[in-house]
Amino acid sequence: MKLPLSWLNTFLDVQLDVDTVVSWFNAHGLEVEEVTHPATGVSGVKTAIVDAFVSHPDADRLRVVTVADGTDTFQVVCGASNFAVGDVVAHAHPGGFVPGVVHADGTQGMILEARELRGVASHGMLASARELGLGDEHGGILLLAPDTPLGVDITTLAALGEPVIEIAVQPDRGDHLSVLGIARDLAAIIPCGYSAPTVSTIPTGLTHPVTLATSSCATFVTVTLEGSVNAVTPLWMKQRLAQSGMRSISPVVDVTNFVMLELGQPLHAFDHDTINGPLVVRNATDGEMLVTLDGQARTLTTHDIVITDDDGPVSLAGVMGGERTEVTATTTRVLLEAAVWEPQVIRATARRLGLASEASSRFERAVDPNGAARAVARAADLIGQITGATIVHTDTVNPAQVLSWSKRDTLNASAARIAQLIALPLDANAQAALLQRSGSEVTVDGDMLTVTPPSWRSDLSRMADLAEEIARLHGYDTIPATLPNVGTVGGRSQAQLAYDDALYAALAAGFHEARTRPFVGERALAAVLPSQGRVQLANPLAQDASAMRPSLADGLVEALRRNHGQGRPGVALVELGRIFRPADDPLADVLDATCTGWRWSGPDGTALPIQPRVIGFAAHGLRHGTDWIEPDLFWQVDDVLSVIDEIFRRLTNDRAVTNRLERQPVVRDGFHPSRSVILTYDGVELGFCGELHPREAQNRDLPHAVVVGELLLEPLLQQITANGVAAVQSVVFPRHPARMVDVAIIAEEQHSFAQIAGQVRIAAGTLLDEMWLFDEYRGDQIGEGRTSFALRLRLQSSERQLTDNDAETVIDAVATAVGAIGAELRR
Amino acid sequence: MQSLADEQQRALEALANAHDLDELDVVRQTFTGKRSVLAAQQAAMRDLDDAERRSAGQAINAFKTAFQDAFDVRFAVLETEALERTLRAQRRDLTIPAKRVAPGRPHLLRQIEDDIVNIFVGMGYEVAEGPEAESGVFNFDLLNIEKDHPARQEMDTIYVAGYDDVVLRTHTSPVQARVMTSRTPPIAVVCPGRTYRADAVDATHSPVFSQVEGLVVAEQVTMADLRGTLLAFTRRMFGNDREIRLRPSFFPFTEPSAEVDVSFGGRGGNDGWLEVLGAGMVDPNVLTACGIDPDRYSGFAFGIGIERVAMLKHNVRDIRAFFDADARFLAHF
Repeated sequence: MKLPLSWLNTFLDVQLDVDTVVSWFNAHGLEVEEVTHPATGVSGVKTAIVDAFVSHPDADRLRVVTVADGTDTFQVVCGASNFAVGDVVAHAHPGGFVPGVVHADGTQGMILEARELRGVASHGMLASARELGLGDEHGGILLLAPDTPLGVDITTLAALGEPVIEIAVQPDRGDHLSVLGIARDLAAIIPCGYSAPTVSTIPTGLTHPVTLATSSCATFVTVTLEGSVNAVTPLWMKQRLAQSGMRSISPVVDVTNFVMLELGQPLHAFDHDTINGPLVVRNATDGEMLVTLDGQARTLTTHDIVITDDDGPVSLAGVMGGERTEVTATTTRVLLEAAVWEPQVIRATARRLGLASEASSRFERAVDPNGAARAVARAADLIGQITGATIVHTDTVNPAQVLSWSKRDTLNASAARIAQLIALPLDANAQAALLQRSGSEVTVDGDMLTVTPPSWRSDLSRMADLAEEIARLHGYDTIPATLPNVGTVGGRSQAQLAYDDALYAALAAGFHEARTRPFVGERALAAVLPSQGRVQLANPLAQDASAMRPSLADGLVEALRRNHGQGRPGVALVELGRIFRPADDPLADVLDATCTGWRWSGPDGTALPIQPRVIGFAAHGLRHGTDWIEPDLFWQVDDVLSVIDEIFRRLTNDRAVTNRLERQPVVRDGFHPSRSVILTYDGVELGFCGELHPREAQNRDLPHAVVVGELLLEPLLQQITANGVAAVQSVVFPRHPARMVDVAIIAEEQHSFAQIAGQVRIAAGTLLDEMWLFDEYRGDQIGEGRTSFALRLRLQSSERQLTDNDAETVIDAVATAVGAIGAELRR
Repeated sequence: MQSLADEQQRALEALANAHDLDELDVVRQTFTGKRSVLAAQQAAMRDLDDAERRSAGQAINAFKTAFQDAFDVRFAVLETEALERTLRAQRRDLTIPAKRVAPGRPHLLRQIEDDIVNIFVGMGYEVAEGPEAESGVFNFDLLNIEKDHPARQEMDTIYVAGYDDVVLRTHTSPVQARVMTSRTPPIAVVCPGRTYRADAVDATHSPVFSQVEGLVVAEQVTMADLRGTLLAFTRRMFGNDREIRLRPSFFPFTEPSAEVDVSFGGRGGNDGWLEVLGAGMVDPNVLTACGIDPDRYSGFAFGIGIERVAMLKHNVRDIRAFFDADARFLAHF
């Protein structure tokens, strides 16, 4: 709602400056979005009358116009053609300034100079409304009322450049959608007096037969006027409309809009002669058509309310009038209408048709059910003043009973309870006084308040609403500050701490935490347990964001691509978040097999999409530091695997090197066929790690190996939630001297290192304290396809010092153990 | 036969003139080796009578002692010099970058979220979680946002296809609804997490963003408790010189409701006020819908935009920076 300050002041008993108004508003519930000063700086613009015009000799679209200001005449070249001889126009003289000219570079405003246009001298310009900052109309020049004095500066006719305060109106405060409503509320806040505009008393009589055949209309008020309505809207009204962001259309329409802005009651004007037969207000029938004022043919449903005559709908109630009965320049009989419609119904219609009008936005938020008669009288008065048309009759049609949605029920509330809630020391009488200030009728009986809210306050229906109203008027800044005495024990849960711990393990290894947008398009890379299942969005923002991510991989690899595009030599990213799959995705079976409590459902138990928590990794390029690069050191799959191992150890609370997910080679869509593994837990896939297929990497303009890893954290976190975390138990470390033993084992092609290492561990038994791989050799010396792994074993006993014999025994045992799987100890 | 006294003089001079450990060894051999004067004197001993032998023996011992003492001193000097030469040769330029991969950094949004959550955890709050693809009942209905309420449209909801009334949560308030429907007061929780709106991406709008919401429900919770809690939070988060300002506002799930501004430039907002969060007393309709008796319990709730706090605190000008995963941005904070 845009509120010109001078308009507001016309209704108040005090005159306020803009800063005072803004601070009152902000402190008491009217949120100021911005203050603008439209049409600031207009100068050198005077009224003039068009004496004559001819076509420009060298330009068909230009006119050479002679204008007179009562003293002198001027020649002005003009591009518009919406004027005739005798029209009063706004003539901007050389040296003057028009703020609304928009230049190609976006800057605004122009100082005029005398110049030639295609060889014809032009003394300034004839200004459009937009050029003067009076709205966005630029179809032609601004035409002023014929009785406008000539040769006067336009700033003396209208207060151009005055402050306009824009307010973000709250959904429950429809009464703030008018100048009167805001003035009334401000008067309650300050407090001070206010007055509404006075209107003529119009004789009651038949205007037009009206039947209400719906329970969605609380009142239907009409006025008839007779006489031509062909006139020019006065400048002051054009300015009000422009300040409020509305266009000037014709005097009758301008008046209905002006009164809507002023009083908050939307109105509609029919050309009375175009209405054929009695008006019936009813629900539309399915498929019924109406061409609305914007020229659009609307197909209606039974949920819409229409005003109809014998030929069908003439207006879509509360939203927009119909084209067939529109007021035009030739109209000589006007039927003005103001009605009160049920908010939910108007909201549904406006929403279904995508047709949010100034009228519908007011009805949706509830208009004052007692305001229609005053508004229609006010509009009739103004139309009469501007056009000279004569007011004939008014008539009001009401339903047989007051409709429940338009009633303002009386409510009771305990003053002590309100005072306690808002922590203000106000007794019942003090609270009653505040409520009365904003129009409620209040009686006090001991602690009990009996409150009847004013007709314009549909938001006051419960004790909490009264509490807010009292606190708002008293001032939120008077509420003290205390801390609640709740007595809860707070803190993060074990699982929440473990979730963070997973991140820190990744950070320690050099991965930066990324947050990517969790939307994907048709084709999306998936790492862990890929499936075709997608959680599609009904109203996606873009085609390539049509579904929720089924995996973190896609977003992270795209992030690598952007970083590579920025010339980063190498990047490693980690992300924690949820991935999304349909409720029946195969991923559900894996989660069911590994944990309980992971599934989210609605209040009736229906399953929501699967959305487990996951950690994802992606790395590409050089594994470099902040200030060094090793040209051959690239991020590798191992870098991610080692982090996943560490995370698994932390989340399962067992630091043993052997406590890790089993790695099984896998061939997976989009990934390198011989550099990818799934990570299993009791045989169930919980994670994946591998290199992107070189072709996929190439498609993403990534020249080096792209490492991708993903681990389902949900089962591990759910186990913590279910079982808590068992404290890690201390062990007594042996203190007898240790012995180092190096062994080299030749593995065949089918052996994985994990198999070899497993055999060595078994063989070394309890004496093995630590074991390290220190060399890996392939070459002619040992034969094609074979690998020699050199392992250093640290043997230690808690009972005695080990001897050469012990070492020999271990080596022999290793030989036997690796031999058992077809490998060989190199002696 | 040369006198040992003269020899001693020469030996001490030779020791003093030895420049390194090798030369020193040569000197040792020259004066104590097989061909040395000392060796000749020792060999000559057997031809002497007792008295001469005693005297000669004393002279030999005196020479030996004098030589060894001087040798040890010189050795120590030369050995130190030699070590110093070695160490000098081992010089390393320690300004050369260490070839270690530096640890990564937590995302700025996580840092801010942790800061916020930690403050409330310190005040006795638990951390509650919920799904991001959420039932409309939890996201709207239980929060007093009816099907055709204008607020529901204003939230620009993204809907999930193929489900009946499943949305990408527009706030983390559904987590509050889940907590209230599953537990009994007293309740004090914060709910951090990602949230979604159908906003086109620009410098100040993102379809995905994050919030921390808080909820306290107990007997006799007042609006002063809300103000005090938010004041304590603000001072921890932004500095002890900050003040807050509550402005009446509207949220469907709270009544009374407030927008909360934080002063910048000290108490009283010398440099102005910035809107930081929304808050209010839990609407009785919400309590009732979630199975809590509004006549017995009251509560407050608040919602903080993590991106907004991060942008204010760190002068981030474009919200897209949070989600573009530019490594320079990630490593910067």
